[in-house]
Amino acid sequence: MLDKTCCPSSEEALEHLRKAEYDLEQARRKEQEAQKEIGEAEAEIKKAIDEIEHPRVFKVEVLYDGIKKQFEVRVEETVKHLLDQAIRAFGQLPQPHTLSLYKDGKELADNQTIKEVGVKPCDVLLLRPSTVKGGA
Amino acid sequence: MVYRLTQGMLEETFEHFRRCGRGREECQALWVGSWDTPDTISRVVHPKHVAQHGGFVLDDEWLNTFWIELGNTNSGIRVQVHTHPHEAFHSAVDDEFPIIHKAGFLSLVIPNFATGPVGFKDAYLTEIQQDGRWRQVEIASRLVLT
Repeated sequence: MLDKTCCPSSEEALEHLRKAEYDLEQARRKEQEAQKEIGEAEAEIKKAIDEIEHPRVFKVEVLYDGIKKQFEVRVEETVKHLLDQAIRAFGQLPQPHTLSLYKDGKELADNQTIKEVGVKPCDVLLLRPSTVKGGA
Repeated sequence: MVYRLTQGMLEETFEHFRRCGRGREECQALWVGSWDTPDTISRVVHPKHVAQHGGFVLDDEWLNTFWIELGNTNSGIRVQVHTHPHEAFHSAVDDEFPIIHKAGFLSLVIPNFATGPVGFKDAYLTEIQQDGRWRQVEIASRLVLT
């Protein structure tokens, strides 16, 4: 006859197995939760990097007649909004319809947004007349 | 404001007009000064432009480069100067398309393609008002030769 102390009964072995299976299930649940948290943290990091690389609010400079002034812009604002701000800041310039903003030598379309025309933080935009001419 | 410029700068301006315009085409010069001494004109700039007998248009790329240069040198345009074939006056085109649109900005027109004596004889000086309109002003009230 087998000694119970050195050879556990099948009942005890089954209990041990159930316990082990439960522990495994708990561990897998924790692993899933951890994976979910890792995914969330990675998404947060990506969002933070995106905000650093493509901020929604930032400062630019506008240059008119040799003088620079700083403006805060939002990516969803139109170029016209910044143009109007700049015209006011430089002394309510007369004939504002003849003035435009320029970046990298190109005239920025008034109806497009700051994001659409590719204006970036610290850009220097030129406020100048679209055409300069004279004639008798 | 009364601006001061040297006789040499006025002569340089006429030289540009005569060499570039050859008595046949209009031409423009810009009188520029530092913002540190706003009443002093310190240099004459001859813009890149295309011209004909009765008018001129500044080069767009040149204008961008010049705009940046003004910022880098802390300078501003005080007066635009250009020639007319005959009588000096400010045309509708001159009114509408100046290089600076600021109250107090001056535009000087020199008659006869600047082929006459160097000076302000028969020249026409006009100034942008607060409402954006141009108004003729006495040359001596705005420009002093030193």
